[in-house]
Amino acid sequence: MDTLAFLAQGFAVATQPEFLLLALIGCAVGTLIGALPGLGPVNGVALMIPLAFNFGLEPTAALILLVSVYYGCMYGGRISSIVLNIPGDEPAMMTTLDGYPMALKGRGGEALGLSAVASFVGATIATIGLTLFAPLLVDLAIKFGPAEYFALFLLAFATIGGVTSGSFTKSFIAACLGLLLGTVGIDPVSSVARYTFGTFELYDGIDFIVALVGLFAISECLVFLEKRHDADKPHVQLGSAWPGMTSSLSCKGSIGRGSLIGFVSGVLPGAGASLGSFLSYMLEKRWLGAKGDFGNGDPRGVAAPEAGNNAAAGGALIPMLSLGIPGSGTTAILLALLLSMNITPGPLLFAQQPEMVWGLVAALFIGNIMLLILNVPLVGLFARVLQAPSWLLMPMVVLIAFVGVYSLNNSPFDLYMMLAFGVLGYVLRKLEIPTVPVVLGLLLGGQMEFNLRRAMSISGGDWSILVNSGISIGIYVFAVTLIIAGAVYAMLLRRRLK
Amino acid sequence: MSHTDDLELNHDRRPAPVGDRIAGAVLLLLALGAWWHSHSFVTGFMQPVGPGAFPRLVSLPLGVLSAYLLFRPGFNERWPDRAGLARQLAVLLLLAAYAGVLEALGFLPATLVGAVLLTRLFGARWQQAMVAGTGLAVGLYVLFEFGLGMPLPNVPWWGAA
Repeated sequence: MDTLAFLAQGFAVATQPEFLLLALIGCAVGTLIGALPGLGPVNGVALMIPLAFNFGLEPTAALILLVSVYYGCMYGGRISSIVLNIPGDEPAMMTTLDGYPMALKGRGGEALGLSAVASFVGATIATIGLTLFAPLLVDLAIKFGPAEYFALFLLAFATIGGVTSGSFTKSFIAACLGLLLGTVGIDPVSSVARYTFGTFELYDGIDFIVALVGLFAISECLVFLEKRHDADKPHVQLGSAWPGMTSSLSCKGSIGRGSLIGFVSGVLPGAGASLGSFLSYMLEKRWLGAKGDFGNGDPRGVAAPEAGNNAAAGGALIPMLSLGIPGSGTTAILLALLLSMNITPGPLLFAQQPEMVWGLVAALFIGNIMLLILNVPLVGLFARVLQAPSWLLMPMVVLIAFVGVYSLNNSPFDLYMMLAFGVLGYVLRKLEIPTVPVVLGLLLGGQMEFNLRRAMSISGGDWSILVNSGISIGIYVFAVTLIIAGAVYAMLLRRRLK
Repeated sequence: MSHTDDLELNHDRRPAPVGDRIAGAVLLLLALGAWWHSHSFVTGFMQPVGPGAFPRLVSLPLGVLSAYLLFRPGFNERWPDRAGLARQLAVLLLLAAYAGVLEALGFLPATLVGAVLLTRLFGARWQQAMVAGTGLAVGLYVLFEFGLGMPLPNVPWWGAA
């Protein structure tokens, strides 16, 4: 078994003390960020990227840190769902439905323990899936040339925009906006300055990290400022998390089903963790129907969505690593990070840097165990952080964003740019134009243009090269199918609203 | 990311002809401007695809979709009320000012003042803001300067840079 040999090699990489430490830091920070209401995996990873850059981490180390943050956020989101009835991040929304009622009945500790185990099982199943399926996709993708890559980038936009968002017009507007912003700066092929209007700071282009932190962290704070938040947070008696271990045994069916559903929705491009937890919960409710007490604190209503969202988080890494197309907002940002470190995820990554890919996979297995430990005996610690007032937490986020972005280039210009992107992100959110495609466009634009131009210079200016191979036609067909599916989905949604 | 928006559809969401039309108009102008400006990118040597082609390739769908938005506006989230807008503006102005004086004053003094005012704007009382702001500024300074080893701007008139 090739895969097992590679995995063993990965464990040799991931068990180096430096990487173990980074995974532990990532897991703890991730759990914390995930637990804080309003801050989810996208914000968490966005906030950590400048720090990883400033710290001069090598790509494997940075990837392990950030993916640990990502996994940690998925664990952490449930804490405030259960304790405060406020989802810590979007995928944790379904957990409020039965988690908070459990907490009101004095079974909060049990709910936290149970959901930690469910998260662990979901994430572990997804990581096993990643180990088994990613190499299969790689075998297919190894045949790709520039024309196929161009098609693949189009597919990335079709998936991130088309499938889940309410208005696919707006998703594509966002993607185009990002692509256009990505052309700002010196054109690497012809050395012509584009859309810089004489501003020297723009010659290197718009730094995607600066844009990212603005679009996610700063705009989140602006959303927070809309309302006054002086109400006292409800205080719920938690109790020990250990009883959750036994109740997770009686929920093993829910956990298993949730994990599988979550994994599949994670692998499907554009679906992501929120869909994973949503589907897991809804199907569990339908499956057990009258036998359950859903909505009133049924433990299975906590187990299924938590297994689902963690499995989806792992599943979303498959298309990101093996094809270089993101399955969710957060993986889009991880992809962005890799590209900015001059590493192109995809089949070549598996061939050329196996120690990195398999080191990451092994780190995920180890990180999961760390997260289980952090989230059962130590969960009270994280729950206590939630009691900290938001007037302390939000300024902390802003200041970390400021220092992180400033330290990138020691340039106040970047700070103004970040604020501008914060306002842009806020306005886009109010307009219901999604911000993830903007980041994706900003980042993939360069690669996409490069591959287009390379394909064109191979063909001598003949545009038909773009549709000349079976693979690229297949990708276009897939992209169009997804766009149509997205349109139909949006139409059904609109009908349901009426 | 956007899926839970679907779950939340029913509250805080309004049909929004005005907001979407303004956005559509602005983006349409942007697309036209980008298209027009892309013709000024000239290179000395011939390439099958020049530096202006890709921006035009992108501004075309941007323009078409923005025009569509102009004629068929969709939904917006509820825009903030006047008090919310004032808080947001105040925070943005404070942050812009903070960015402006960061190098002139040095990290620690600028952040001390900035953090106290910021916590105050996020809803702390003055006393709380003093304590929390000072703690945040000093904590960040220690963390970044000594913990992570990233040099932050020193106070200019206070010894060597």
